[in-house]
Amino acid sequence: MIAGGPANGVLRLGLLAIGSCLVLGFAIAVATAIGDYTIDLGTVFLAITNGLGLSGAELPPIEESVVWDLRLSRALVAALAGAGLALCGAILQALLRNPLAEPFVLGISAGASTGAVCVIVLGVGAGSLSLSAGAFAGAFAAFGVVALLSNGATSGPNHTILAGVAASQLFNALTSYIVTTSGSAEQARNVMFWLLGSFGGVRWPDFQLLLVTVPLGLAICIYMARALDAFTFGDEDAAALGVPVGRIRLVLFAVTAVMTATIVSMVGAIGFVGLVVPHAARYVVGPMHMRLLPACAVIGAIFMVTADIVSRVIVAQQTIPIGVVTALVGVPFFALILYRARPQT
Amino acid sequence: MTARTFLAAGILGLGLAGQGAQADPTSYPLEIENCGQTVTFEDAPDHAVALGQNSAEIMLMLGLEDRMAATAFWPNEVLPELAEANAGVELLTVEFPTLETVLSVQPDFVAAMLVTLMGPDSKVAKREDFEALGIPTYLSPSACSVTAVSTDIYGARAELWTMDQVYEEIDDLSRIFDVVDRGEAVIEDLKTREAALRDRFEHHDDLTFLFWFSSPSPEDDAYLAGGNGPSSYIADLLGGSNAIKTGSEWPTLGWEGIMASDPTVIVAAQVDRERWTLDEAENKIAFLESDPIVSQMEAVATGRIVVMPGAATNPGVQTLYGAEEVASQLEALDLPE
Repeated sequence: MIAGGPANGVLRLGLLAIGSCLVLGFAIAVATAIGDYTIDLGTVFLAITNGLGLSGAELPPIEESVVWDLRLSRALVAALAGAGLALCGAILQALLRNPLAEPFVLGISAGASTGAVCVIVLGVGAGSLSLSAGAFAGAFAAFGVVALLSNGATSGPNHTILAGVAASQLFNALTSYIVTTSGSAEQARNVMFWLLGSFGGVRWPDFQLLLVTVPLGLAICIYMARALDAFTFGDEDAAALGVPVGRIRLVLFAVTAVMTATIVSMVGAIGFVGLVVPHAARYVVGPMHMRLLPACAVIGAIFMVTADIVSRVIVAQQTIPIGVVTALVGVPFFALILYRARPQT
Repeated sequence: MTARTFLAAGILGLGLAGQGAQADPTSYPLEIENCGQTVTFEDAPDHAVALGQNSAEIMLMLGLEDRMAATAFWPNEVLPELAEANAGVELLTVEFPTLETVLSVQPDFVAAMLVTLMGPDSKVAKREDFEALGIPTYLSPSACSVTAVSTDIYGARAELWTMDQVYEEIDDLSRIFDVVDRGEAVIEDLKTREAALRDRFEHHDDLTFLFWFSSPSPEDDAYLAGGNGPSSYIADLLGGSNAIKTGSEWPTLGWEGIMASDPTVIVAAQVDRERWTLDEAENKIAFLESDPIVSQMEAVATGRIVVMPGAATNPGVQTLYGAEEVASQLEALDLPE
């Protein structure tokens, strides 16, 4: 911490912002450069400049495709997914005034799983409805149940959390029921693969969808940053400060649901990021949302890209489920923050 | 299917008319209808990747080991007669590979046995990934056997699975690799063996088979083979039917339910992966014979337990091999009249 006036504070924040963006860029570069297929760095660089239309080098088509179509799109999707989940975690922790809140506490992930399983096993809308679309619909069904049970999320934070727990249980039970009664081995394997979360199936169209969803969500949340600050004092105090509590709560829940549903339907249920990253970000930039939200987005992105790199290199020629890695990487990191931030007695 | 059979018959007819029983060489570019897609081959592959045991074993049966770059995803051991040929082909992993690994061997053709390995929602690869690079693909007909009445993109079988889908796959692959003669010989051999089994066993309405794949532990519900999958086909081929009548291809059932199904014969699968103790057939048999309640089942008490490789429960060439193993043990049993 640099002692000094506000100018120093701004300078420090600016340096932090530039530094963290550089780290993110570096992480994405590393993710693009390494993998099972050994490609020399010159080719990696040229493949990217070719893709951006800055050069027209003749490269082996398979190597160019691995760098541009597989690795880069995957790293960018991981970055946006990490940013989105971290952002949702920060929003929910503020709205529900609960440090343990995260995107999946509202049953969104359980609902998405049910939707995906319905498509896989029951063939609901087979052909016309993709797995992702099913997951998205399921996520929204869960969100609807929670909204209904908690009176449009206006009946207080604890009530909403309880409604989320109920929805999670309901949809998890539905998923288990469908899988056990009508799954073939192949289907069960598909479901397991899907539930564990993976960036294996993502390509450029997924990135384009997230490129719209996540920045838009970030913009809306930053626009409401002051209201979010007010929420942390409680609903009555926020209302006294002139914040339209019910409306903002509903808008932010909806933004969270859309972002989470989009991400989960694309890469499966990846836990831990939404829970841990907001706390790490608060530790770095403090609790004010105008700073906290961008910090969450950048840290979440770095965290997820790093976790994906680890998941790809930890066992040669195989990918470890990303959710396992986020927990393995996240827990020690989280423990460190808890230790450093413990109350001094 | 009918168009394909017609085409095959046409090719055969031309062959017969042209030069005795010699099959015509494939003329390229070759167009193959596969799982609702038309795939074009400019010439015969000579650096192919087989994703999944069955795709690999069919290529090996066609004697294509010199033209295979690599294989991946082997739930079971390779067929003994193919082991030597298989040893010369690079193995990427016995589990799900990554797309990067598959591409790193520079394939000029990729064949897959499951939609989880290559399909629209696969985390490994989509057909377009390869097509974009000009690499033709082939997906096993058993993996995408969608019937008109089925609403399931993963091919929940409305009708009993049969070896015909395997024959179709062998025929397609032999034309792709321009080894039609070998393909015909392999199909001929398998069909002869299938017919021989069919002739050996008379149909008995009350002959039922229970296919026990595995269990996490004796107390847990058992994984059984049911529905219209390969195991039910084996039961049908040997003159009986599956004791489990559910539509699900892999139902789980507690021992009370299993005892109630009262099978004539219990088929204990020998599963080669090392996940659970009860993957091993001998451990299954030990449990059946030692459990005070389960051992009272008629099939156990009268010693009507046979062993079959787990690979036979998946749709592929191994299904017929499994049926033959069950058949040879069946004849030694004292079956009720």
